[in-house]
Amino acid sequence: MKLMRWLSLLLLGLSLTAQAHVGEPLEMLPMQDGGRIKPFDTFARETLQLVHGKQTFDGKPASEIVFTWLLVPDHWMTAPLIELRHAGLKEALKITSQERYFSAQSLFTNERIPLLVQELNTLHERQEKLNPYFQAVQRLENQLALFQAITKGVALRFVPDPNGDRWKAVSELDGDLRDAFVKMSKGFAESIGDAKNPSDAEPSAEFQQSVKDFMAMARAQAPDKYADMKRIEWEEHLNHFHPFKWAWIVYLTGLVFLFLGTTVKQKWAMPIFWAFLFGGFALHGYGMGLRIYLAGRPPVSNMYETVVWVPWCSVLLGLILERVQKSKLLLVCSATVAVFCLILTDLAPTVLDSSIQPLEPVLRSTFWLSTHVLIITLSYAAFFLAFALGDVILFYYLKDEQRFAHQIMVGVHSIYRAIQVGIVLLAFGIILGGIWADYSWGRFWGWDPKETWALISLLCYVAVLHGRLVGWVKNFQLAAAAVVGFSMVVMSWYGVNFVLGAGLHTYGFGAGGVEYVIGFVALHLLYVAYVSTVRYGRVNSATKR
Amino acid sequence: MRILKGKFSILASIRMAVFIILSMAVIAAVGTITEARFDAEVAQKLVYQSIYMYIVMGLLCVNLIAVMVDRWPWKQHHMGFVLAHIGIITLLFGAWLTQHYGVDGTLAFETGQKRNTVSIKDREILVYSSMDGNNFTGLYQGNDDFLRHPPSEKDPFIIHIGKDDLRIFQYEHFAFRESEISPTDKPWDGAAVRFQLENPNVNMTQWLRREGRFRQAEIDLGPAKVILTSSLPPPSGRNEVVLVETPGHEELDYVIYNKDNSIRKKGQVRQSETVETGWMGMKFRLLRYLPHAMEKVTYVPSPTASPISISAFRFTFQGGEYWLGLDSVVRVFTDSAVYLISYGHRRLELAFPLTLKQFKVGMYQGTDRASSYESLVEVPGRGDVTISMNEPLKHDGYTFYQSSFEKNERGEPVASILSVNKDPGRWIKYIGSMLIVLGSIVLFYFKRVKWVKTPGSKT
Repeated sequence: MKLMRWLSLLLLGLSLTAQAHVGEPLEMLPMQDGGRIKPFDTFARETLQLVHGKQTFDGKPASEIVFTWLLVPDHWMTAPLIELRHAGLKEALKITSQERYFSAQSLFTNERIPLLVQELNTLHERQEKLNPYFQAVQRLENQLALFQAITKGVALRFVPDPNGDRWKAVSELDGDLRDAFVKMSKGFAESIGDAKNPSDAEPSAEFQQSVKDFMAMARAQAPDKYADMKRIEWEEHLNHFHPFKWAWIVYLTGLVFLFLGTTVKQKWAMPIFWAFLFGGFALHGYGMGLRIYLAGRPPVSNMYETVVWVPWCSVLLGLILERVQKSKLLLVCSATVAVFCLILTDLAPTVLDSSIQPLEPVLRSTFWLSTHVLIITLSYAAFFLAFALGDVILFYYLKDEQRFAHQIMVGVHSIYRAIQVGIVLLAFGIILGGIWADYSWGRFWGWDPKETWALISLLCYVAVLHGRLVGWVKNFQLAAAAVVGFSMVVMSWYGVNFVLGAGLHTYGFGAGGVEYVIGFVALHLLYVAYVSTVRYGRVNSATKR
Repeated sequence: MRILKGKFSILASIRMAVFIILSMAVIAAVGTITEARFDAEVAQKLVYQSIYMYIVMGLLCVNLIAVMVDRWPWKQHHMGFVLAHIGIITLLFGAWLTQHYGVDGTLAFETGQKRNTVSIKDREILVYSSMDGNNFTGLYQGNDDFLRHPPSEKDPFIIHIGKDDLRIFQYEHFAFRESEISPTDKPWDGAAVRFQLENPNVNMTQWLRREGRFRQAEIDLGPAKVILTSSLPPPSGRNEVVLVETPGHEELDYVIYNKDNSIRKKGQVRQSETVETGWMGMKFRLLRYLPHAMEKVTYVPSPTASPISISAFRFTFQGGEYWLGLDSVVRVFTDSAVYLISYGHRRLELAFPLTLKQFKVGMYQGTDRASSYESLVEVPGRGDVTISMNEPLKHDGYTFYQSSFEKNERGEPVASILSVNKDPGRWIKYIGSMLIVLGSIVLFYFKRVKWVKTPGSKT
């Protein structure tokens, strides 16, 4: 019964987030952008994320905001819209203000920007890597260019062209289509204007009809090129539903019940924990399923996708190993990994870009992508799980080795198992990568940084297992190695693309977050050093006695 | 067996294995950092193919074999470990075969071109000489290893050519090319002009120099072509300015051709005079005319790699001092002969030619982002074959992969670059890989059984 009450509360919470607003009819409007057809809502969210650094402005949804750029560009020219945070860039632009948002006008009139853009273009011509300063210049240029392209209507391509691949932009419409678009825009403006309180505004029936009419006319231009509305609806659903946010909330709630069930010994809490764990796992998987359907490829083509996929595998692996090892600790750790990663995707949308981008030609092989990359990332999931377990076991060592002897024993077994699974998967994944590279580039192994770091991770874990054979790596050292070894995985997963930025896996290059990742790794290394020192002191004094 | 065990005890120890594994990891890590700082070639030559790596690999093989001998006679639970270890040795053997007997090169051709030469990574220095400027005889051919053993003033790399030595005394792996044109009084040096093409949209100033007295020099500037020569060539269907020299005269004859091959204008032009071309208000201004000029090329060392940096070395020969960059040629003229020194990638001739019939770049809808690259290639005896990313062509022991392409200044693809590969170690590497995966699965399966019997040692 209690379970039912919780579930109904949860569903209520979900339904409350979906409130009608004026821009809603526009959100489903299909458009062409970034090499695919997407709902206007997705475009608006991606645009506002780039220009403003978040997906809402003043609490208003992206679709409304971005559409009004086109209708009242003058108003938006002076609004504090464009996010600019890089201190060095502000200094170069002679901006002294501590503000974070600036009006487009103040930036368009800034005399220094053309010079910086010229410098940036020189770097592009020389094909040099961009440092964080020039990455910020690049972002600013993209922000201003996109803003301008929208105010002028050239970036909004709502109508397929029967004679070409490129859809027609709003600025290129003529005749009936133009009239229909104007009517739709008017309907939107009036719906906002009619309401006494803007936040209560609702789309008028007339406006809703005008959107439908415009869509019908756009489709009639080239029916075979127009969007598959089912996909558009699913993408809209993904935009509004936030499955990954719900997944981590549900996982986290589950962990609270597990705490009640095991530590506080409340028997009733356990079934609820299981329900939440599976609920979170299902939501997590549902979100990924949606993305796979929309992008038409396995969810491992960029950093964001792997940061979502890897913890899902960790939970899966945790569930499987729990069957064998009978240790709830595995579930705690895997659910924590999932919560951690999914919160990360919420917190760092600029580093972990969630937009669905077209794939580089070389990656357009679903078979290899789904075998090689999926297996490598599965091994990351196993090592991530071992890492989390290692963290907890080290904590037990710090607290009281004797009292937690049983937990330590079971935990170390789980670590050993997870590392074994990881090694087999990683070795297999590296070899598959070699076969793919051999098949499509003609070389099995080329010391490319990504593959080399994967090999380094593998070697380190293999060294740990060999060390265990000769008694160098005992239980404590294995827990410590699981934590330290994961630094190598972090390097091959994140570091190669974001820090080294070299090699053939260029399609995954990104920027940002380096200081946080280094902080994360350093903190764990310090933790291992601290626990080792404390324990070494204890063992020493015990043997002296 | 007893004796062997004793003898192999250090080599066969797991402690040794741990040491080897960690050394490999450290060297590999250094390699990736080297690659990020410089480039892949430096990392390959100085780290991955360094003596340290070979020593570690050698020790690894010895250790793997010794440990297997040590465990003889093998029992059932040894199966995984034996399989995995044999797999590693097989893989390394396959890799060695590839490195020594494999071919890894590139083949670049423009649409319509027929090619059978593959350029491979190894570099070579070639020296030719000629008495008459037409027939050349080869004097020297050799590979360089300057990255590993850079020549210096104290320890130069010397090529003996007749009585005179070619002495290479400086090598820069990353350098930027700079050139300067200056007048000479040597009659065999070709002429040079500096000119300006200008209209409200375009303003270009360029040097154009003839290599010797017999070669025509031309430069394509997009809107127009400029040619410097001694006799008027036929039109080529472009907007062209042709400058014709007459020995001993200070003025040049000029002819301006239209795209339709008609002559727009003719006349004479002197230094610092201007000619109205009549195309889009464009003016042609002759800034300088040097009847005999030489180009002095120098290379400025660069601390790191950049896409436009190139390798170059500096040498003395026949009393002169020269720079020579990768994929270029230096001509040294003396009173009696011409010497040609070239530095470039080694070429390999295939037994059959390939003809590029078409190169296509597929785009994601409504963008200029490539979604696919495809070369339509004619293969002798097989007709037309499409080579695309992830879909290579196998022919006569070689495999051809779509690797990249070249664009012209308008961004249109003009040439396709295939990577060409022959790998005798392929199947050995595959077998090795299979054994490793199989072995580690079996190994961990038995580990699990053992674990249940004797739980891990207590700390």
